[in-house]
Amino acid sequence: MKKVNETVKKETLYIAAFTVIFSVIAEAVFLILGRWDLTVLLGNLFSAFVAVLNFFLMGITVQHAVEKDEKGAASLMKMSQSLRTVFLFAAAAVGVMLPCFNTVAVIVTLFFPRVAIMIRPLVDKFSQGGKKDE
Amino acid sequence: MLELAIGIILGCCALGAGLAMIAGIGPGIGEGNAVAKACEAIGRQPECKGDVTTTMLMGCAIAETTGLYALVIAILLIFVAPGLLVDVLMKTIG
Repeated sequence: MKKVNETVKKETLYIAAFTVIFSVIAEAVFLILGRWDLTVLLGNLFSAFVAVLNFFLMGITVQHAVEKDEKGAASLMKMSQSLRTVFLFAAAAVGVMLPCFNTVAVIVTLFFPRVAIMIRPLVDKFSQGGKKDE
Repeated sequence: MLELAIGIILGCCALGAGLAMIAGIGPGIGEGNAVAKACEAIGRQPECKGDVTTTMLMGCAIAETTGLYALVIAILLIFVAPGLLVDVLMKTIG
């Protein structure tokens, strides 16, 4: 089995960190709205784990794909995307169907990696600004 | 008549979920093309492998979100919407 690339590790850690931060914010919003209960926390944790795992699996696929030729890389990526969609569907279906998970918490948390990527330029700007100041 | 109405609701929800999942095809093709071009770029400039991989990972994650939107719509149509719509129907009939 191949070692996980440093880039993949770094990016997964970044996504995981921001997913945790956004999950805490989501919990706070539920608490403020007066709709917080244990199902929200469980749904959030379950969905955050699924979202980060999905990103990590995508990273592993990309790591393998860049070592192949163009055609092989494209087909590997397409197959991986299909399998991960099935995995996400199964996970989200479990999250929606089981009463121990809050549906809204499960669905909203799946989008946190996307939000983390959207604010990436801002984070980079701040971290580079900090380095320049030093 | 009621059974027919419930059947139409369930059928339309299933049909809608199936149609929504057509959006899942796009990200697969897009990600495949992106990775193929990245392979080409790494082949030309192997020293840029780290940068290309990072950019591609982020690009793939963004491309995948469109599929995720479709997935969420499909899941809601399959698991949540039928119950809600049947409830509305029952309340309307009384």
